[in-house]
Amino acid sequence: MVTFLDVIEKALTGKPTLPRDYEIRIYSKNLREKVEEYDIKYDGEQLIPNDDSLARDVFNAAFDFFIETGVYCVDTGRVIKFTEEEVREGLREAPSKVYFGEGRDRKPLTPRKPEDKKAPWCFLGAAGGPVSSEEVFLALMEGYASIPETNSITTPALTMVNGLRIRPKSPLEVLGAIRNAVLAREGMRRTGRPGIPIMNTLSTAESAVSLAAALDPRYGLRKSDGFMIGVLDPMKVDFDRLNKACIIMSFGAPITIDFSPMVGGYAGGPEGSAVSTVAHHFMANLVFKATYFTPFPLHIWHVCNTTPDLIWVNSVYTQAVSLNTKFLTIPLVYVASGPHTEMVFYETAASVIPPIVSGGHIEALGVAKNKHEDYFTPLEAQFAAEVAYSVLGMKREDADTVVKEILKKYIDKIKDAPLGKKFQECYDIKRVKPVKSYVEIYESIKNELGNLGIEWYK
Amino acid sequence: MNGEHEELIGKLKEAIIDIDEDEVVRVSREVIDAGVNPLEAIEKGLAEGMKVVGAKFEKLEVFLTDLMLAAEAMDKALKILLPHIPRVEKPERRGKVVIGTVMGDIHELGKNIVATMLKVNGFEVLDLGVDVPASKFYTEAEKFGADIIAVSALMSSTIGGQKDVIDYLEAQSVRDKYIVLVGGGPTTQEWAEQIGADGYGETAMDAVRIAKTLLEKKGGEV
Repeated sequence: MVTFLDVIEKALTGKPTLPRDYEIRIYSKNLREKVEEYDIKYDGEQLIPNDDSLARDVFNAAFDFFIETGVYCVDTGRVIKFTEEEVREGLREAPSKVYFGEGRDRKPLTPRKPEDKKAPWCFLGAAGGPVSSEEVFLALMEGYASIPETNSITTPALTMVNGLRIRPKSPLEVLGAIRNAVLAREGMRRTGRPGIPIMNTLSTAESAVSLAAALDPRYGLRKSDGFMIGVLDPMKVDFDRLNKACIIMSFGAPITIDFSPMVGGYAGGPEGSAVSTVAHHFMANLVFKATYFTPFPLHIWHVCNTTPDLIWVNSVYTQAVSLNTKFLTIPLVYVASGPHTEMVFYETAASVIPPIVSGGHIEALGVAKNKHEDYFTPLEAQFAAEVAYSVLGMKREDADTVVKEILKKYIDKIKDAPLGKKFQECYDIKRVKPVKSYVEIYESIKNELGNLGIEWYK
Repeated sequence: MNGEHEELIGKLKEAIIDIDEDEVVRVSREVIDAGVNPLEAIEKGLAEGMKVVGAKFEKLEVFLTDLMLAAEAMDKALKILLPHIPRVEKPERRGKVVIGTVMGDIHELGKNIVATMLKVNGFEVLDLGVDVPASKFYTEAEKFGADIIAVSALMSSTIGGQKDVIDYLEAQSVRDKYIVLVGGGPTTQEWAEQIGADGYGETAMDAVRIAKTLLEKKGGEV
């Protein structure tokens, strides 16, 4: 078994390589070659493929690509490589059933298969989206914890501490990370569901020191939560991220790695993005000893995964992982439009359906490109879960037809997606309830999508 | 310009569009040997070819790596061609940009795309890399003779560093000397206005357009 210390040794002894050479002459070049070798093609016609051999090819291409390419360590300037046997061993040893949460909200996360009728894990919330105040943060947490389908929460990120904007690696970041943990747990306690696990711990802690500071049990984080580490594109790590892994392993909690091989970036087109996303699962498994995985390939210009090419990527990599591994993969949904618009529901449906019918779970969701302070609400997350539950067991072929119909509703607006309204305008914050006008939009889109083939489960 | 010279310049443009570095270098040497005006080779061959590659990248007909490889090929060609330009004919001074990611943030994808797109569009770019302290943006811009300081940040917990750069320039009484552009994941127009940046680009193409517009307003040229 490759231990964490083995990984560190590899990072210290691997082949010295210039970062630019790794990016474009190793990573991009190898990826392009594998896509050609396995003849993987996105034709723009079938967005949710139902050909299992494509998933197999993408998996095999990713396997070969990962072994030939390795992972780049920024701090040592060396490439961490793994043998074929090490990767196979990692696949065999990956956990396939992990419990998260406490009390009534303690549940097992297990793998799904394409067209599975088994309920998905609904990892709901703001996906680290920025919030302007603690009041907004708390109200959002209450809202997410009140959604019946919520299995775990992806919290927002505080951007201010007592009116001071957080700076990385500063005492403000340390204080912000602690406050993020405290407020998240408090929000859940207020809804009577304190046992719900937080599984993006901690989005405010960019540095390892902030993560370590927030782990004191008094702040409410537990071993039954999930701890997130974001890696660098393309397939790079650094000591700070490895330090985080070291801290979490010592704490004894599960790790997830989030990664986004962008369409248009170093990964190239949709084919490269799909292959690289699978390869990142191997990296997360071997380098970080990840228990679960939160991929979110995005479109380089539109910063979402609701364009046709990204819908294909999400479906294909999820199938490649679910059909060929027992990895617990939870694709993260990202939409371009904001709350209080029709488009946000169209996009959410179009991006939730592909991973669900392809054998994945969902992390939902990044709204309005996940960049505008307070431009997200619990209603979009609730809608995402309702879509997920309503398409269980749907054939991929049928899902393909439904998604293409939904796409027609918004694709011409993707370039200038409407920002919509802030949480404070969409919700009565004190009661944590959506305003009437927003509920009307939500209900009208549910009706419309019902006519397109989604049979609402409630 | 005679037919042979025109043909060589066309070949140079095509070699850039094909992202064939060996061919770019070979034709650049041929350009010099054949006595083609190197300035014309740069403007009508290299620059025109890069424009085509940039436009293809906008439409995602080529990808980031292709763009970076084309920019590398262009740099190699410039090393061959520039020394042969007579002093009186030196090309117009290009807009100069210092670019980097703020301190505490080591994300570089967006910054690399913008840096390359600026190069493709004729700017001279000094890339300071990632995790760059506010003071370094200032000192390097002074040394480089920059017109523009472009500050990237990817995380909601790191964008405060963009304000720190502007504060630093103000404290050094050089704020008006530079055009300050901000960009990156959590950055918005509202944020740019709030911290007193001159411009914000949501995408790399926006950044290039804004850089050109603001530089022209300031009386400079790309």
